[in-house]
Amino acid sequence: MSRFDGPDAPYWEALEDGRLMLPRCSACQTWIWPAAHRCGACHADDVQWVEMPLEATVFTWTRTWHRFGLTEDFELPFTTVLAEIAHCGIRLLGNLEDPDRVDPEIGQRLTGTIGSTRTPDGELPVINWSRV
Amino acid sequence: MTHPLYGSTAIAGVGLRQHKRGHSPLPERSLLVEAVIDACEDAGFDPADVDGFVSYGDDKNEPVRLMPELGTKELRWSASVWGGGGGGIAGAFGVAAGAILSGQAKAVVIFRALVEGASGRMSAAVMAHHLNDHLLATGMTSPAQLCALRANRLFHHHGVDPAIVEDLVRASYHHGSRNPEAVSYGKEFDIDALRQSRMIAEPFRLFDCSRENDGAGALLMVSADLAETLAKPPVYMLGCAQGAQAGWGDLLENDDEALFATAGMRSIARRLYEETRLTPADIDVVQLYENFDAQGVMSLIDHGFCTYENAAEVIRFDNLIADGGALPVNTSGGNLAQGFIHGIGLPIEAVRQLRGESSNPVPGARTCLLAGGPGAPTVSSAIFANEVL
Repeated sequence: MSRFDGPDAPYWEALEDGRLMLPRCSACQTWIWPAAHRCGACHADDVQWVEMPLEATVFTWTRTWHRFGLTEDFELPFTTVLAEIAHCGIRLLGNLEDPDRVDPEIGQRLTGTIGSTRTPDGELPVINWSRV
Repeated sequence: MTHPLYGSTAIAGVGLRQHKRGHSPLPERSLLVEAVIDACEDAGFDPADVDGFVSYGDDKNEPVRLMPELGTKELRWSASVWGGGGGGIAGAFGVAAGAILSGQAKAVVIFRALVEGASGRMSAAVMAHHLNDHLLATGMTSPAQLCALRANRLFHHHGVDPAIVEDLVRASYHHGSRNPEAVSYGKEFDIDALRQSRMIAEPFRLFDCSRENDGAGALLMVSADLAETLAKPPVYMLGCAQGAQAGWGDLLENDDEALFATAGMRSIARRLYEETRLTPADIDVVQLYENFDAQGVMSLIDHGFCTYENAAEVIRFDNLIADGGALPVNTSGGNLAQGFIHGIGLPIEAVRQLRGESSNPVPGARTCLLAGGPGAPTVSSAIFANEVL
C-alpha cells in the first residue's frame, strides 16, 4: 500500500505540495490523528482537512547515533523531535536542525519548513524543525 | 466469584534452547521441535498428545508444520496474539487457557523460536510490523529510537532519575552471573560497561538495550487437574490480561499525554489484580520484559510497584535481587543478561522459580508476575503461583 492509499493520503499530498494539512471532525471539531475516515469521539464521518502553520513545541526527542537500516540518507548523529503542532495538539515526528548538538527542551517552540528524505522507494516529504 | 482463569490451568513442563545469535546448531523449526520435546519430557507427557499451540510476536513457525516431527496425533488449536513485539507474550498463556477451559484443546504449547538465519534480526522484524512512511521519512526505523522518545519524556518531563535504570541492569547481570544458561554466566558486571558503551539513540546506550539470541522456548499448559497427575509440581496460572486501554495503541506517537511515558500496561495490571484479587504486595518475584531498561522501569510503575515520584526508592539494586530484595526482578538475568529469545525465557524462569529450580531462588516464593513486552501497542501480563492461594 502506498501512502496515497491510506486515510492520511491528503496529509502526504499536501506535504508534497509544501503545506501541512491535518484532519478534524466537522461535527465536533475533534482533531483526528492517526487520520481516519470517521470520528471516534462523535461517530460523524465528515472529516475536514485544515491547513496548519508549521509551528509546534517539543513533546519529546531523541538523537540517533547508530546506523539503523533505512537511515542511510541521514548524517549521524541526527536529532528527531516529536513535535506537538500548535493549535491542534496532534504530534508529528520530524527532523530537528541540531548542528551544535544542543539537547532540546520539552516545551521548546519550533518553526518548520518542508524538506525531503531519500528512501529506497523514492523521496518522502518531511518537516524540518528549528528552534525559535 | 472466582475468575474462571484463576488456578484452573497450569504449566506442566518447560524447555529452553538458547544459543549465541547466528550460532544455532539447528535450523529454527528443528530447534523449536527440540524445545517442545524438552518441555514434554520435563512434564512426563507424550509430545504426540500435544494438541494445541500458541505464539506471539509474528513467530514464523505455523504449528501445523511441527506435526510430522513431533508425531502430533491431531492438531486442535493454533493461535497467535497480535503484534510484532513482545507485547503479546503473557497473553499467549491466556489464549492457551481459553482453549483448554473451553474444551477445544487439552495440552497446549506456548512457544517462541528465533534463529537469525530463518527469521532475520528480531529488531528488524519487529519494526517491519510497524514501519510506515512517517517513520521512514524521519529515520525512526528501530524500536530503540521509538522507545527512546518515551524514555526521554519519562526522565525530562516526569522527573524520574535516569540513573535508576542502572540498578535494574546491575540486578539483571547479578542474577545472570549465577545462571549457567545465561550469556553473562560467571561474569562480573562493571557498571562502567554500561556508562561507556556506545550511544545508540539517546538516552539509550548499547547496554540499555536487550540483546538478541538464537533459540526456542516452549511451555506446556494443561488443566490444573491434569497437571497434578504429571511429573513436576504444577505452576498454576492465577490470571492473565491482554489488550490496550483507550488512548494507547498504534497511534503514531499520539497516545494520551498521561500514558505516553508508560509501558501502556496500566489497564492490564488493574484488570489482572482485580481478577486475581491480588495486589502488588502479594507478588513475590517479577519476570519483567525489558526490551530497553527504561521501558522496564515504566512497566514496574504501571504494575503498581512504584510511582514516578518514588521509583528511585524502590528500583534499587539491593531491593531487586533474589538475595533479600523485597522486589526480586529477572532472577535468571532476564532479557538483558540471560539472553533474549523474544522474551520466552521469562515465563520459563517464572516456572523454574516457583518450582525452586532457579539459579537465584527467592526463598518461599509463591507468586510470580510475568510482565509482558512494555510499550507495545497490544500488551499483556500474567500471574503464576505454585499453589492456588
